[in-house]
Amino acid sequence: MKAPPFAYARPTTLDSALELLAGNDDAKVLAGGQSLLPVMNLRLGAPALLVDISRIPMLDRIVVDDDGAVTIGALVTHAAVEASPEIASHQPIVAAAAPHIGHRAIRNRGTCVGSIAHADPAAEMPAVCLATDAMMIATSTRGDRAIPAADFFTGFLETDLADDELLAAVRFPASPVGARGTVVEVARRHGDYALAGLACRLVFDGDTITDAALAYFGVGPHAQRVAPAEAALVGTSGDDDALDEAVRLVAATLDPPADVHGSANYRRHLAGVLCRRAVTELRSETGEAR
Amino acid sequence: MSPDGNQGSGLGAFTGTSVKRVEDHRLLVGEGRYVADVVPDGCLHAAFVRSPFPHARITGIDTADAKRLPGVVTVVTGAEIEALTNPILPFLALPGLYTPLYHCLSSERVRFVGDPVAIVVASSRAIAEDAVELVDVTYEPLPGIGTLDAALDTASEPIWPKAKGNLLYDHTNDHGDVDAVFADADHVFTETFRCPRQSNQPMETRGILVEFSADGEITVRAATQAPHMLRWQLAAYARKESAAQAVKAFATNTERRTAFVDAAKSFFAERGEALQASDNTAMQTQMKTDPRTALQMMRTGAQLLGRDDYPHVTADDIGGGFGAKGSVAREEIAVAAVAFALGRSVSWIEDRMENLMDGGQAREEEMTLSIACDADGTIRGLDVDLVLDQGAYPGNPIGAPITVRIMEVMQPGAYRFEAFRQRSRIVTTNKGKYVAYRGPWANETWARERMVNVVARRLGISQTEIRRKNMYGDEDFPATMLTGPSLDVTCSVRKTLERAEELADLPGLDALRADAAARGKRLGIGFASYHEAAPGPPDYWESVNPGTSALLDQPATASVDTDGKIKIWTSQMPHGQSHETTYAQLAADQLGVGIDDIELVYGHTSRAPFDLLGTGGSRGGPVGGGAVRKVGRGLRAAVVAKAADMLEANVDDISIVDGNIHVAGVPARGLGYADLAARVVADGETVEGKDGTYAFNVEDTYTSAGDGGWSVATHVCWVEVDIETGLVDIPRYLVVEDCGPIINPAIVDGQARGGVAQGIGAVLYERAAYDDDANLQASTYMDYLIPTATEVPRIEVEHMETLSPGENDHRGVGEGGMIGAPAAITNAIEDALDVTVNEQYLPPTRILELAGVIEPD
Repeated sequence: MKAPPFAYARPTTLDSALELLAGNDDAKVLAGGQSLLPVMNLRLGAPALLVDISRIPMLDRIVVDDDGAVTIGALVTHAAVEASPEIASHQPIVAAAAPHIGHRAIRNRGTCVGSIAHADPAAEMPAVCLATDAMMIATSTRGDRAIPAADFFTGFLETDLADDELLAAVRFPASPVGARGTVVEVARRHGDYALAGLACRLVFDGDTITDAALAYFGVGPHAQRVAPAEAALVGTSGDDDALDEAVRLVAATLDPPADVHGSANYRRHLAGVLCRRAVTELRSETGEAR
Repeated sequence: MSPDGNQGSGLGAFTGTSVKRVEDHRLLVGEGRYVADVVPDGCLHAAFVRSPFPHARITGIDTADAKRLPGVVTVVTGAEIEALTNPILPFLALPGLYTPLYHCLSSERVRFVGDPVAIVVASSRAIAEDAVELVDVTYEPLPGIGTLDAALDTASEPIWPKAKGNLLYDHTNDHGDVDAVFADADHVFTETFRCPRQSNQPMETRGILVEFSADGEITVRAATQAPHMLRWQLAAYARKESAAQAVKAFATNTERRTAFVDAAKSFFAERGEALQASDNTAMQTQMKTDPRTALQMMRTGAQLLGRDDYPHVTADDIGGGFGAKGSVAREEIAVAAVAFALGRSVSWIEDRMENLMDGGQAREEEMTLSIACDADGTIRGLDVDLVLDQGAYPGNPIGAPITVRIMEVMQPGAYRFEAFRQRSRIVTTNKGKYVAYRGPWANETWARERMVNVVARRLGISQTEIRRKNMYGDEDFPATMLTGPSLDVTCSVRKTLERAEELADLPGLDALRADAAARGKRLGIGFASYHEAAPGPPDYWESVNPGTSALLDQPATASVDTDGKIKIWTSQMPHGQSHETTYAQLAADQLGVGIDDIELVYGHTSRAPFDLLGTGGSRGGPVGGGAVRKVGRGLRAAVVAKAADMLEANVDDISIVDGNIHVAGVPARGLGYADLAARVVADGETVEGKDGTYAFNVEDTYTSAGDGGWSVATHVCWVEVDIETGLVDIPRYLVVEDCGPIINPAIVDGQARGGVAQGIGAVLYERAAYDDDANLQASTYMDYLIPTATEVPRIEVEHMETLSPGENDHRGVGEGGMIGAPAAITNAIEDALDVTVNEQYLPPTRILELAGVIEPD
């Protein structure tokens, strides 16, 4: 369980990192290393060059705009996200996801943006990005581009990022008025990847749901929203009838995989249970809109 | 007085108290020394080329590219290593069983995912792994045998061609008139129970370092539960002499030859009658199936007896084993053979993927149980059909054969059956090898305790009533199990059940169920009871494997150095059981000194007394501890005699308190152990012992067959099942155990809790998963889940301490937690779901399938 040979660079400026990425076909960005290094140690991946971005200034920033939009830089750890009062107040669904991610030691080193770039199908952050219409800020020697979450996750461990691009930040837009969000999941042990999980954001006008996002993880090759079930909730109060229909549509839409941890039927069933739990939790919330 | 506050006083002061573990400080501050911690200058590192296929022929192997990689010292294939090693031979064979002969690396055929086919030795493990990827092996895949049904199918591809099939053993024993009892009983109930494969998962993986000193002396350092076994196996298998060389060496080594002939004479003199009566069919089967066995045994035997300069094996700290490190690894033989050939130090530290493939697996059994009973709940007859999947290669030396024997002997449990039949079958499949795992026979308890609950449910009586009604109690003793072993008051299973019932607050159960239901959960409760031979009565092991009881004997030595330092020498190999603490407690009480005044010597084969089995089988307390008490007593007598002489007193008047040896009532005129030792030296009375000269040296052996009794427990588990997610919570867990008088209650609690944790793992988390074609599905900790602190509830442990009629009261607890837990947990889940549970492994998916919430895929 030793990594195959690789070259290693630790640039101190963003430009030099981008040049390294542009000049090497087989380079990988190393931030917290919580996904990449196990992959290498298991010899499931053998990048020729690791570009360690840990010494590049400014990437460890959490920036909050006046309207409540939050931009999280590529070196911000899960633990920093979890501990940030700004994120808790402006993007509570992002804060809600953090405690589910691995264990404390993993959150201390693993980065939020790294998890998004890695795009594990059972990871929480990609689903949160989908639920909040987040923008991915990619940068390269060719310039910057902003990629909507809906276009970013393209397959199993695959994203829209080009080989020479660094995912420099993720930007969560300001929450709509009346939005409430939660992350629910079931894992066999605390800290394991979820058997199924759901990042759910509902926008309420009084008791009526005016917008719904059901972004699932662990039930397909990548995080995915279930539009038919979302539509079934909009215009309702999330009452039992609406929930029954949403749960039916979740089960009809998802085609989850089976593995040693759970059958496809189990995951499909669990997706419905999570929908019911999340909507019920958000309906019962009072006071501040989230 | 020690820093832990362990203070010495009179006899019996330490035994029975929760003295702090002597081992803890060293391990917690990182001063433990494990095999991976020792890296001699210039040490080379090994890695193995392993089969990615469950079953295949090797049609080609090309190591040229790997050998060319800078840093690689050698690559040895399976075919090449046959010139350096002998094949591994059967041990403790059973009549009718075929045990394949095989080498440490495979050459013509691979038989499971992970089967080693070549060893790479390089200047670093990373380079060795790089080279592994450059070895080009051509495989021609064969059908993988991944299920019991496939193995039992006579048309299946034989994994061992000489066996002509994958069923290696099929034997039925009747105890009593089974057919008559079944015909006469009011009811016969039958269920089939399946337990999937699990894996012993010690924190430290396997590992070996063959170290050459500057002057060429070889020391083998390994993570092993049995250093002497490893030493002899390396001597037998990791070197290869021609038959002529071996015989010549034996003939010219007059000292060894004479010793062997003398030993053989006395062996036959003592056992002639038993040998004449014993059944030689075991070897006959083996020879008939594989005639090479005889030649190989003679040749390896002659090689072993020809020399006595084999490298010693040593072990310091070991990070757990749970039985797996009682096996000698094929990898260890390969590493040693290559290191011997190179004449250089070589280290192999197994990684977790290797460990999950090849480090030892266990428990895969399917058991069909029929119980004949009367309408009033009287249990009368038991019929068991057991199929055990031993995987591709036999456990070495402990594996499936001895396990099926123990399973049969213990299967009736503490119930008054009138008749019992057991059919035992061992099959081979394309999976990792079956080894002993903490309570290797535990599925007899699981299946029986499940079946007892099935009978109770069908008859409409409670799970506690059916047990109380049918279990042996004091009024029945002495009694004899149908399978042979005798039962006395130490078989106090029913007492633990009755105590557990009191503590379980059964009248409050309905309220708990209602409370759980209000939260959308289903609550269930499960009982399970067992007795285990730790060490068992004198007739226990004779019932399991006649004529081999002597293997279980334990030697020990108690000595006083010429400067007065007290040493206890044990053949036990501690790997987490706290021997240094408990043996010091026993010896300190015998010798009237403090815990810190005792040094425990173990591990190194040049110093540790000889014993093939090392630590295992819950024998550390009763048998190893019995030996310590025996030599401690002997040493005390010798010390007292010398002191009486010096103090001109009667031996009966000598007292030892806090290391002060004195005439009772006159402590001021006492002597220390150093004073006594100095006098022995001055008087020219020193004695030669192992590794030096001593003032006193008492060696003795404790026969496990002589004393003992049963270690017993009742487990009670409460579960709450979330019927939406299939997750199972354990709000309460109770163990009521009776291992006799306890040496150290905190350590006994820890053993019980650790065993229960592994039982929780077995039911809810752990599965060494293979698909039907025998492809391994769980090769990392992402897929093989081990319960952690967040999954293991607080476990209540209640002690009962029944005295035994024998001389040594302490009984073993190493395995019991793991034996009782799977049955208690699955019984509780059955109670919660109100369905029959036939599997041991119940992940969330299976829970919801059983509950009828989802359909299987």
